[in-house]
Amino acid sequence: MVNYEFSEDEIRFRDSVREFAKRYIEPRWIEIDNKGKIPLDLIKRMGDQGLFAIPVPEEYDGMGGTMVMAAIAVEEIAYYDPSVAVAVYALLNNGWPLALALFGQEDAKLEILPKVASGDAFFGIASTEPQGGSDVAGTKTVAKKMGNKWIVNGEKSFISGVREVQELPEGGGFFLVAKTEKAVWSHKKITTFALIPKWNGKLKPGWKPTIYDEIGRHGISTGGFTLENFEIEDKYRIGDENKGFYLVLQGFNIARTLVAAATIGSARWALDRAKEWLTTRKLFQGRPIASFEGISFKFAELYTELEAARYFVYKAAWMIDNTYLTKDPKFKPYDLNLPVAMAKLKAPETTTRIYEEVLKWFGAYAYTKDCNLYRGWLGTFSYTIGAEGAQNIMRYIIARDVLGSEAVRNVWVKEEE
Amino acid sequence: MKALVAIKLTYDVNQIKFERDGTPILDSCPKVMGEADKCAVEEAVRLKKKAGAEIMAVTIGSSKEHYRILRDAYAMGVDKSVIVRTENPERLDSLTIAKIIASLNNKLGPFDVIFVGSGASDTHSSVIGPMLASILGYKLLANSDKILFEDGKFIVISTLEDGQYKIATNPPVIITVTSEANEPRIPTIKDILRSKRKPIDEISLENLDVKTKELTLKNLTRYVVPRKRIKIDATENVEEAVDRLLKMLREEGVI
Repeated sequence: MVNYEFSEDEIRFRDSVREFAKRYIEPRWIEIDNKGKIPLDLIKRMGDQGLFAIPVPEEYDGMGGTMVMAAIAVEEIAYYDPSVAVAVYALLNNGWPLALALFGQEDAKLEILPKVASGDAFFGIASTEPQGGSDVAGTKTVAKKMGNKWIVNGEKSFISGVREVQELPEGGGFFLVAKTEKAVWSHKKITTFALIPKWNGKLKPGWKPTIYDEIGRHGISTGGFTLENFEIEDKYRIGDENKGFYLVLQGFNIARTLVAAATIGSARWALDRAKEWLTTRKLFQGRPIASFEGISFKFAELYTELEAARYFVYKAAWMIDNTYLTKDPKFKPYDLNLPVAMAKLKAPETTTRIYEEVLKWFGAYAYTKDCNLYRGWLGTFSYTIGAEGAQNIMRYIIARDVLGSEAVRNVWVKEEE
Repeated sequence: MKALVAIKLTYDVNQIKFERDGTPILDSCPKVMGEADKCAVEEAVRLKKKAGAEIMAVTIGSSKEHYRILRDAYAMGVDKSVIVRTENPERLDSLTIAKIIASLNNKLGPFDVIFVGSGASDTHSSVIGPMLASILGYKLLANSDKILFEDGKFIVISTLEDGQYKIATNPPVIITVTSEANEPRIPTIKDILRSKRKPIDEISLENLDVKTKELTLKNLTRYVVPRKRIKIDATENVEEAVDRLLKMLREEGVI
């Protein structure tokens, strides 16, 4: 049975998020982009409204919802803040808490997740390093076990939420990807942790953050940090030692789906602006510019592509729900790679194409800062470059899953075992 | 204290589309709880905290959407809900609707306060509250823009053409709530998920002691207020034109 309809709960939830975003996010999104900061009161309000940890079970103070609902929330938030800063903040605090809930140890989950759900703490991802983000097996950050603790050394870069962790009342941290043996290129030496450099309002020693200056979605910070003999208790280890590679990739599947949801929300906003413009802007003796097929046909194409991207997003989210939440044995985590990669390939690229076209329809006005389209364009372009996996990695995953790993394996370096 | 809040399923006025001749396309328009009704639910729910009131929501109808707006009321925080089942609620006239709510008051109440929206988002007749007050012999606080409950008294502020009125009275009372009264709470995901497990009591309209009367109105697609156009030529004698204009405006009661 194929059913392309949201359930009544999902529609009621979507309407509630829409109302919330219209009331509390839309009036502030430009100020958020200009000031480069999501106000803490808005983050708290979002926590009170239950917009974080949506798919996390209620036993960890999560919302007990689904990934489909998380995707709905992220898409709606991105519509009302098309720079996608607030949506990205929300998606990180939905995706990575779910990964922690699925793979973390009980004590750590009970300690961290309630504070993330309430909006008092942040929980994102720290995987990328200065030498590159796509090569997870090449991670250089090293965690050495010393009794009941791990001593971590290394450097992470292009990490979302570095400033927010410092500014939020409780703090927070990241799903950390580290190596148990230095300089070994191997996916079998990866261990993952909940790294919480600021907790209960206190900064821990050994964590030195920096903030980058980016070209878009300024509301959420991107930065880097070094770890110098940073101590992590063993209870914060996520999954078994040296099994982290498989866990972080599953986390990526969750987060990628939500990244795709954020971009389609912003793209829908751009197309709605275009709809208004094309039907009311009149040239050549009063013809609305939509009457030129060079424009209306392009609009039709982009509208169709956006709808296609939306199907990819919600199919991936639905599969994740079947895999992890309803635990239908037909669905295996490995089977998520393909649908998620397609959603993450399709949605940001479609969004970039939509912005590039819509900007042209708005003419010279689009090139001024008064026309806020550029904010959505620059904000979402980040996800055509990368974030939660570069687009060529998505292509690689799709090629590997469809053509077979043997056929595409020549791009792999031989592992040092 | 017991409170009843009566809500109506109406068209989502923000999503109505129109034909070229201005006729609204109602078939495809989503239906929701009316805006003023939502504010009425919000006031009722606030009364829970202020006076420990038990809140019941009621609507008249039988479609899936009627059940949904009761679940929406649950998600906002009401304690109980009841649906008066009938096939075509939109064909019932206002007096019948007021009688139905009054008869519920006798059957499930009496309620100390009955909240209704000051007007429905679609028909906006604004008569249910006054009719209810008259049938039940309750006091009426109409068009309430602000509602307080202090020392056992309801105090409301109502804005009318000639100014603001502040009226205080003891229960039992009917309060009609405007969409200016508050910012209704937005249910969280947990509220929404929980609301679907709450029971909705059903009463069949035939089981209430109400003689129903159907509207004689066949179909109302559009109501257009006729416009009167009067041209005053001000090209030559401006002063005279101004005098004529003022005279006409006075005659029409505009100034």
